[in-house]
Amino acid sequence: MFDATVGGPADRAEVSRIARAQRGDVDAFAELYAAYAGRVHALCLRLTGNGAAARELTQDVFVKAWEALPAFRGEASVTTWLHRIAVNSLLMQRRADARRSMRVSLADDDEAAGMAGEGTSAPVDVATAIDLERAVAALPPGVRRAFVLHDVEGYSHEEIADMTGLAPGTLRAQLHRARQLLTKAMSQ
Amino acid sequence: MTDQRTIEQRLADLVAALPRDVAPPDDLWVEVARRLAPRRAGAPPVREHSGRWRLGRFPAAAAVIVAVAIGSSAVTVMVMRQQQGRTAAAPPAQAVSLPVASTLPARFASLERDFARSVTYHQRVLDQRRDSLAPSTVATVERSLRVADSAIAEARAALARDPGNRTIAAIFASNYERKIDLLRRASELAPRT
Repeated sequence: MFDATVGGPADRAEVSRIARAQRGDVDAFAELYAAYAGRVHALCLRLTGNGAAARELTQDVFVKAWEALPAFRGEASVTTWLHRIAVNSLLMQRRADARRSMRVSLADDDEAAGMAGEGTSAPVDVATAIDLERAVAALPPGVRRAFVLHDVEGYSHEEIADMTGLAPGTLRAQLHRARQLLTKAMSQ
Repeated sequence: MTDQRTIEQRLADLVAALPRDVAPPDDLWVEVARRLAPRRAGAPPVREHSGRWRLGRFPAAAAVIVAVAIGSSAVTVMVMRQQQGRTAAAPPAQAVSLPVASTLPARFASLERDFARSVTYHQRVLDQRRDSLAPSTVATVERSLRVADSAIAEARAALARDPGNRTIAAIFASNYERKIDLLRRASELAPRT
């Protein structure tokens, strides 16, 4: 059962919510949902680049979180834990999609290379340089994932490697590619 | 090169300014709640459709469901009658029957939303199991739920007329809790496989 060291009243309330949800209290889980759904949905939107897919992924994240909650020990923050679930869910979806479409290679580099043309061929409306979200959404999936987790969410290379299984070199290459594509889009 | 640095800096600034929260669609929680499998303390998550649900194997639990519903209604009726008695004894100016407000004061409306969320969850779990239930079980549960709904509606109407009445407010909340308890107990009737 979750037994984190806690500080102020807000932390204690959080611990209490988690403990109750671990015991099966749906109302407590609803409170956790209310507290974290925005963060999770934002990540899902950026990871998928698609509203409908983000909705589905957000839903999956919380259902899986409910199932995994009894094992949650508070070793990471709830946000990080939920984000990890989101990334894992997305990777599983992608792998399932890849299997369905009979793709041979699932390597990130291959995925990024294969999708690069698709991602950059779409016209990105950044004339005002404001619609960064749209530009991020147009990135190839593997590149987008690296960019969102590192540059937007602020995870370290090690944390991302832990979440995604990406090799450091691959991650660096994807981040470089993402910034390159985004700066190119912004300069147009 | 300078332009490139400017663009990169601008990109970094834009990224830093991106919102960390993007609210999901309002109805997403309902979809999540529908998919949550009930679990018991200390036990691994229990999948829905884990077995057939037969009232005959759990007569005591079924009796509790009926008792909860009847108890809920009885308390409501008793207090409402007391309220009506007080109203009748009040001066004519205060005895004017106010139209039942369609909405509750904000603090109760918020409370009701919270209750409704729990009801929705437990109701959906029950609905998903409906096909595997014995008809007599379905009838018993539905009858009990109608009684519970009636008690809630009575308390709600009374509260809308008299939002300052703490007794009615407590009964209103209690009736919702009883309905949720009823739904929860009904779900727990599912046999272990």
